[in-house]
Amino acid sequence: MATPVSDSLESERPVDVAQIERSLAELWRNEQDGDAAVTRAALWNVVAHTSTSEHHAQATEVLSRASAAVPQRSIVINANAAAPPEISSWISANCHLVGGGKQMCSEEIAIVAGGDRIHRVPPLVNALLLPDMPVAVWWMGDLPNEHEEYVETLLDPADRLIVDSSCFDSPQDLELVGRVAAKTTTIPADLNWIRLEEWRAATASVFDPPDMRGRLTAIRRVRVVAGAKEENFFGDAIESLLYASWLTTQAGDGADDAIDYRFERRMSDAVGQIAFVEIVFEDGSSASISRDRERGVLMMNVDGIVSMPDSVTRTIEKQTDALIVRQLKQSSGDRVLVRALPMAAKLAKRLR
Amino acid sequence: MTVEAPVVDTNPLREGLEQERVPDASCLVIFGASGDLTQRKLMPALYSLAHDGLLPAGQTIIGFARPDFTDEAWRMAMRDACNKFARVRPVDEAVWENFAKGIFYVRGDFNDPEAYLRLNQRLQECDRSRGTGGRRIYYLAVPPNFFPVISEFLGAEKMVNDPERGGPFTRVIIEKPFGHDLASAKELNRVAVTTFRERQVFRIDHYLGKETVQNLLVLRFANGIFEPFWNRQYIDHVQFTVAETVGVEKRGGYFETAGITRDIIQNHMLQLVSLIGMEPPVAYEPDAVRDEKVKVLRALREFPRGHEEDCAVRGQYTEGSVLGEPAPAYRKEPSVNPESRVETYSAIKLFIDNWRWADVPFYVRAGKRLPKRVTDISIHFRSAPYPLFNKMSTLRMSSNVLAIRIQPDEGISLKFDSKVPGPTVRTAPVTMEFRYATSFGAEPPEAYERLLLETMLGDSTLFARRDEVETAWAWIDPLLRAWANDGRAPEPYPAGTWGPEAADKLIEKDGRKWRRP
Repeated sequence: MATPVSDSLESERPVDVAQIERSLAELWRNEQDGDAAVTRAALWNVVAHTSTSEHHAQATEVLSRASAAVPQRSIVINANAAAPPEISSWISANCHLVGGGKQMCSEEIAIVAGGDRIHRVPPLVNALLLPDMPVAVWWMGDLPNEHEEYVETLLDPADRLIVDSSCFDSPQDLELVGRVAAKTTTIPADLNWIRLEEWRAATASVFDPPDMRGRLTAIRRVRVVAGAKEENFFGDAIESLLYASWLTTQAGDGADDAIDYRFERRMSDAVGQIAFVEIVFEDGSSASISRDRERGVLMMNVDGIVSMPDSVTRTIEKQTDALIVRQLKQSSGDRVLVRALPMAAKLAKRLR
Repeated sequence: MTVEAPVVDTNPLREGLEQERVPDASCLVIFGASGDLTQRKLMPALYSLAHDGLLPAGQTIIGFARPDFTDEAWRMAMRDACNKFARVRPVDEAVWENFAKGIFYVRGDFNDPEAYLRLNQRLQECDRSRGTGGRRIYYLAVPPNFFPVISEFLGAEKMVNDPERGGPFTRVIIEKPFGHDLASAKELNRVAVTTFRERQVFRIDHYLGKETVQNLLVLRFANGIFEPFWNRQYIDHVQFTVAETVGVEKRGGYFETAGITRDIIQNHMLQLVSLIGMEPPVAYEPDAVRDEKVKVLRALREFPRGHEEDCAVRGQYTEGSVLGEPAPAYRKEPSVNPESRVETYSAIKLFIDNWRWADVPFYVRAGKRLPKRVTDISIHFRSAPYPLFNKMSTLRMSSNVLAIRIQPDEGISLKFDSKVPGPTVRTAPVTMEFRYATSFGAEPPEAYERLLLETMLGDSTLFARRDEVETAWAWIDPLLRAWANDGRAPEPYPAGTWGPEAADKLIEKDGRKWRRP
C-alpha cells in the first residue's frame, strides 16, 4: 500500500512528452526541499505494453504495488493503432514506508499513443530507460505474433520479456516466445510458469527420495486434468502443456515419444488451472498429486500408499503483482522454462 | 515400487525451483529442549523453514530435556513459542498441522543411560514411520559442560554413524561458547573428535547466518571494483563496532564468567575481521573459505607482553541512562559480584601481519549499555595525496568511508567528497547508500533458519572449524590472562555513552577517531 509523501509526488501530472526526464528531475528537486526523508530507488526498468485503457489502468496498479518489493522505473504504454493519432504522457511517484520514517519512491511514467504515433513509442522508451539497470518488458494480453517486427522493436533494449501465456490464443504465440529466447539476448519469462511452481515443487517432492529419482526415466504416461469452461480457448491449456513439457525435459532424455500425454478438461471456475496430475511408470505403478481446495494445499500420493507424510505445498492464489515481483527478483533468466518452451509448442500441436 | 531404479545424485526437477536444495529427511534431536534458545530461536526457525517449504517431507524434531512433557504438550508449548517468535506469524494451520506431526519429546537427564536408550528407541521408530533413514542431527543447546557426557553417551549407545564407513549421516551442532580459553577449547574439541569426525561437527556462530555477514563475501568477491583497493595501499584503517543498548539482563551469572571480550570479540568479531581480511578463496566451499579465514587469524599480531594497554582497553558501565531510561551500574545487576572486574566494554587495536594488511590498524570495539544498538564495519580509505581543494582549510580532508551496516537497517554506504554548488570550489562529504529494505523489500530469513538448513544439507561453510576456534583463542588468551592478573579494574563509563575515555584515546593517539555509527 502506498503511503503518501506529498500530493506533488503521488498525484499524476501531465507532462510534455519531450520533457519527461526534466519533469521527473524537477519533481525530485521539489521534494528534496521538503521535510520528508525520501529515497528514490530503482533496481529495474519495467516497461508494460498494453493495447486497451482497461489493461493500461490494470498495469499501472499492478506495477505500483510491485514497486514496494522491487523498486523500479515503470513505463506503462497504451498503444492502440486504431485510436486517434496522438501521443501524451504523465509522470508520478509511488512511495512506500520502509522503516526509520523513510519513504522509498519509484517513478511511474504513463504514455498513451494512438494511430501512427505508436511508432514513436519505442525510441521514446529507449530514451527514458535508467542507465545500467536491467529492462523488463511486460506484454499484457496476447502477443501480436502477426506483428513480430513491432514486438522486436520494443524488445530491442529488453533483458527480459514477461508474458502471461494464459492469454495466448494460438501455438504461434508460444513459438514466438521460443524464437525470442533462441535468437535474441532477451530472456522470456511467463507468469503462467510461476503459477505452475507449486505443482513443480510438489512433483519434485515425489522424486526427492533417492530411490525415486531413478524412476524419472521410467515415466510412461502423464495425465493432467485442468479446469475449463465450455468454450475452448487455447490459453487455458497452457498450464497443462508447460507442466508436461517441464516434466519431460527435466526427466532427462527428452524422449517424449515414449510417453503417453493425456490432457483432460474438467468444468470448473478455476479455468486453466491444474487440478490433478497422474504419473504412471513403466511397471504400472503411479504417483499422483491433487489439489485440496479446502485446505489450500497439494496432496501427494505415491503408488496409492501414503508411506510418507504429505508435503505441504501452498496453493494460495497469487496476484499478478506477486508474480511480477517473483520474476523481477530472479536476477538471471529461467533456463528451465527456456528448455521447456519448444516441447510445449510441440505438444500444443497435438492438442489440435 | 517394485522395479530397481538407478540412483541419481540430485533431483533434476528441483532445478530452478526456489527450494533448489532440499535436504534428505533426518531426525533433529535438541538436547536442552526446554531452554530459552529452543523456544526463542530453534523451533521458530524450524517452523519458518517449514512454512517456506524448505524442510523435506518426513523431517523430524525430537526434544530431549529433563521436564516432563508428553509429545502433545510439547507440541503445544512449541506452537506458542512459534506464535510469539517465528518470523512468519501467527502460525499457518495447514503448515503447523503437518509440521507438528514430526515433533516428539523424550524426557531424560543428560547423565541417565536409560534416557539415551529411550531416545534411541524413539529415533528408530521415526526411521520406520517417517522415513528418516537413520540420519541424525544432534543439537546441543546446553552449556558446554554437558557436551562431554552427552557425546560420550551418544557414542556408547552407538547413536553416531562414522562417515568413513558410509551410511546415513550423523551431525552435531555445538553452540558457543566454544570453551573459556585456549585450553578448554582444545579440550572441548578433543572430546568432540573422540565421538565425531571434525566434518560432522557444526559450531554455530549465529553471526555467520546473517544475510549481511554473508554479503561481505559477495561484496568483496562478486564485484570487481573493490579488490584492487582492498589492501594497505588504499585502506588507512578499518573499524568494527558491536554496540548493544541492553545490559546483561538475566545472564549476569554467565557474563561474570565471560565478559564482553569472550562473549563477542573472540568469536563474532574475529569472524567479521576474518571475512574483511581474508584472501579470495579458490571456491565457495567449506574448507576453501575457512582455510582463508584461518590464515587471517594466524596472521594476527601478538599483544605486546606487559604493554597490553597500548592496544587494548576494557571498560565497565556505571549508572546512567540509555534511550531515555535509567540504567543501573553493571555491579548492581542481578547475579553480578558488587566488586566485579569483568569488562562490559572492550576496544582492541589489532594488526594482520601479512602482505595485504601490513601496518593497517583494525580497531575493534564491543560494549553493553552503549547509546544505540548497532553492528557496523567501516573501511576508511586513505585521503587524496595532495589537497588540491580546500587549501586554506585547517581541517584534514575527509576520507572516503565504505560503511557496512550489519544490523539493524542493513546496508552499505560510501562516503566521498563532492563540490558544493556555487562560484567557489568548496567540497562537502556526501554518501551513496544501499539499504536492503529499500532495494529488496522482503524481510531476510533469521540466522538460525539459514544455519539449521545448512546443517541439514551438510554444508559447513558458515560454521567455525576447529582450527579457527583454537587460533582465535590462542591470539586473545594472553590478553585475557594479562587482564586477569594485573589487578586493575576496567575503566568506568556511564551507561548510555560510547565507552570509556581510554577507548577514545586508543584511536586518537593514532590521529584517528571512532566513527559514529
